[in-house]
Amino acid sequence: MRKLGGITLLLTLCAGTVYAENVAPPIPVGIAVAQTSNVALFGQEQIIGAKIAETYFNIKKGVNGTPIKLVTQDTGGDEAGAINAVQNLISKEKVVGIVGPTLSQQAFGADPIANRLQVPVIGPSNTAKGVPQIGEYIGRVSAPVAKVAPYAVKQALKQNQKIKRVAILYAQNDAFSSSETVTFQETVKNMKLETVTVQKFMTTDTDFTTQATAVLNANVDLVIVSGLAADGGNLVKQLRQLGYKGIVIGGNGFNTANVFSVCGSNCDGILVAQAYSPEADNPTNKAFVAAYRAAYKKDPPQFSAQAFTAVQVFVEGLRKVEAATKKKITQLDLATVRTELNKALRKGSYITPLGEISLDKEGDINQKTFYVSQIKMDSAGKVGKFVIVK
Amino acid sequence: MTAVQFLQNFLNGISIGSVYAIFALGYTLVFSILGIINFAHGAVFTLGAYLTYSLAVGQFGIGGLFADLQLPFHFSFPFALLTGSILSGFAGVLVERCAFRPLRKRGADPLLALVSSLGVALVTVNVLQYLVGSEIYSFPSDVYGDIRPAFVLHFGEKLVVIRTVQIIIFSVCMVVLALLGYLIGWTRIGKALRAVAENAATASLLGINVDRFILYTFFLSGFLGGLAGSLVGTSFGIAGPYFGVSYGLKGLAVIVMGGLGSIPGAVLGGMVIGLAEAFVPSEYSAYKEAVAFAFLFAALLIRPQGLLGRSHIQKV
Amino acid sequence: MEGFLQNYGFLLVTLVQQALLALSLYFPFMAGQLSLASPGFYALGGYIAAIMATVDSCASLRNALGWTIFPLEWLVAALVSGILALIVGIPSLRLRGIYLALGTIAFVEILRVLFLNLDITGGAIGIFDIPQLFEERWSYILIFGPLLVVVLLFIHRLQHSRTGRAFKAIREDELAAGAMGINPTYYKVQAFVIGAVLAGIVGAMSAPLLNTWNARQGTFDASVSYLAYVLIGGSRSLWGPLLGAALLAALPELLRPLRDARLIMNGLVLVVASIYLPHGIVGALSRLWSFFSTPSAARGGE
Repeated sequence: MRKLGGITLLLTLCAGTVYAENVAPPIPVGIAVAQTSNVALFGQEQIIGAKIAETYFNIKKGVNGTPIKLVTQDTGGDEAGAINAVQNLISKEKVVGIVGPTLSQQAFGADPIANRLQVPVIGPSNTAKGVPQIGEYIGRVSAPVAKVAPYAVKQALKQNQKIKRVAILYAQNDAFSSSETVTFQETVKNMKLETVTVQKFMTTDTDFTTQATAVLNANVDLVIVSGLAADGGNLVKQLRQLGYKGIVIGGNGFNTANVFSVCGSNCDGILVAQAYSPEADNPTNKAFVAAYRAAYKKDPPQFSAQAFTAVQVFVEGLRKVEAATKKKITQLDLATVRTELNKALRKGSYITPLGEISLDKEGDINQKTFYVSQIKMDSAGKVGKFVIVK
Repeated sequence: MTAVQFLQNFLNGISIGSVYAIFALGYTLVFSILGIINFAHGAVFTLGAYLTYSLAVGQFGIGGLFADLQLPFHFSFPFALLTGSILSGFAGVLVERCAFRPLRKRGADPLLALVSSLGVALVTVNVLQYLVGSEIYSFPSDVYGDIRPAFVLHFGEKLVVIRTVQIIIFSVCMVVLALLGYLIGWTRIGKALRAVAENAATASLLGINVDRFILYTFFLSGFLGGLAGSLVGTSFGIAGPYFGVSYGLKGLAVIVMGGLGSIPGAVLGGMVIGLAEAFVPSEYSAYKEAVAFAFLFAALLIRPQGLLGRSHIQKV
Repeated sequence: MEGFLQNYGFLLVTLVQQALLALSLYFPFMAGQLSLASPGFYALGGYIAAIMATVDSCASLRNALGWTIFPLEWLVAALVSGILALIVGIPSLRLRGIYLALGTIAFVEILRVLFLNLDITGGAIGIFDIPQLFEERWSYILIFGPLLVVVLLFIHRLQHSRTGRAFKAIREDELAAGAMGINPTYYKVQAFVIGAVLAGIVGAMSAPLLNTWNARQGTFDASVSYLAYVLIGGSRSLWGPLLGAALLAALPELLRPLRDARLIMNGLVLVVASIYLPHGIVGALSRLWSFFSTPSAARGGE
């Protein structure tokens, strides 16, 4: 009987809250990323990026004078956690839109829920094929780097025209890396290079001697690694320590300062395919980089930049909604704001840390600029930098 | 497979195998005395790596409570390694105090110790994340001092390459194994430990303070776990608070292979699994992760008492 | 009401789902066996459902069957899980003690690596865009709820059957049971297979619930959770796993306000509960019950 009493209490607390009601200031924007579990490494960076955006845009008067407020919910590393977080944000926190979740797999789990409830979602780091196609309310600001892979390989050929034999390695348990490697492998084929060996590893691996010795004995002059900072960086480190002298291309997973501490001086010279570069030349990026450097004394990683961008897209989208409806967001009811916001997001372009972007009809990002950078380490092998190569 | 390839795989295998061996010994010591698997062992492994890192480098990153912290001291690597491992030993003692002793005193179902030790593991891992965040911590490449990173041996066309780290890991493990062998085989403490493992009730009748020896065992176990974690950490970096989990599971395969509770068995099992992993052809490297568990399964089918275990083990 | 279901509907379904998985572990427990294999069969069942629901070669079957494809998925998942459980169970259940636990940990890990590498399971990304049985998450209670009722009734009947008594005899003393003419391996395998079939069905039902399926569904972490449900709830009564699952699965959600400290609390609860509730919550409750229901005079004589 006591249990029943509890449920009735919960019922009265939660019932009848979803009906027409206006958005209360400050405008709540949901952040559903991983703050716990082994995905938290990325979630932490995303929270930082989103928080910088919150401060930045609220100083700039938020949405025409109404500030925004980030509401974060931890998704953990799994799908059920992502669904819970998204549902919490939608029905309890009454957010106008959601930035998240961290992993593509979690997006496939949680995004259909938001889509059904007609709440716009912007994925800050979901790069797998099929994410924007989940539904009309789902978008993303993370480009699958299919476009940038060919540039990286071309750049390698520019540095050494004699490249013939290529070794390709990828983290097969990472969704992003295992789709990125397909692009790399096609590019290599199209450029008439010979793929001598394809090696797989796991993001949880620590010992890459098997892969490294296989590469060394295959006698290659280009190595392409699709992996994340920890595993990819270790792989390159072990490869270099064991005497590989040729060029190394790192996939987009290498695009974080985390990699410097992993491979140290052995990072030097890695060509990295980048969806974001701190050197990108536009006012938003400069402000973002400055804010990040002031707080953390290093260059921001791509995950932070993409999370910033996702929040920015929402803020500018909300401004567009106000312009279109000629009403303040706080005068509109929540359901209207969500649908109008979703429409507005797909219109026009944004000058973001990622450069100029727009969202296409499906919600996928159109990113104008990608970069190929080369890692330069200082002589002590401690401080590194991505230098754009043209 | 050519002889050169064989040599290469062999060297890779014994290096990682030696880490598996000392790590699994930590499991085995506790099992031999309590007949219980200490699921917090993987967490102590992780903790050891962070402790050694703190002592040797002490520079923290952007996440967690210690964000941007630079500890005011740092020690030479051998000292940090030793101290880190000793502190892990004390962590092992703490695990015993929190997760095992209260249950033992109540005469509870030994299975509960699995849950309580898993609880301690969960707490440890998440406290670590709370303190230092989940980013990657790497030891600087000159952590061992100014020595070359690798040795390359030429055999005609082919090369055999060894990373210096691999040699260091192997040597440290061998030294520790020798010391442990001496401790258990030839000292009074070792004899008492073996007596407790054989039969705790009889040992206590003989005037041995069983509780104290259980604590010693957990200290040794924690020491070995922390040492293994630190060695792996220096070689590959610490990939976040969860990086001990896969070692924790592989360690189970090692001890079943060697025979639950058998000390030489754990060493042999570690070597066998390390070597087996190294000999997985690189095309199939994706399946490397499953090798240890395939061995575990095969052992259950063919020789459940393990390579060196006794056949009458009945403990749960 | 709608607001409540929006907020907590999915959680509610998850609780029932976790309770079912806890019960899948409870079957081997009834025969005194500690198995950690449920996540493996759960993952397998989910993959079977996800594959049947998405691959092109099953399209004509789907068109022909309409929504009845879903029960068919459950059936196939149950069958495959059962057969695999026989193959795994017979060798590992000849042994006594901790070996089954270790063997099943290995089983779960091997399956995980396989799922990650096979083409049909979609590699790391897994399978997504799984067709839905219901629009709303909470509606899934309409399949998980009845399954739970059926399983509870089944256990209730089983406990009073010949098989159930054999399970109990083995649990109390395997050697004595053997001496009484019970074939322990036979019954242990039976208990293990029933648990596996249940986990497989739950997996098959969960694939549409989660919209997507991948190799991270069946992991050691999950094994640990299910074990904790059973032991902390109480392994001597069928209400134990139920209560344990409901409480422990809800815990991380209830602890949401603690943010990144919530898993620390979760771990602490496991430690404290296993120390102070050695017979599980149900064990503690029934002691409390007998304490109050026994006349004080009788208690005095104790």
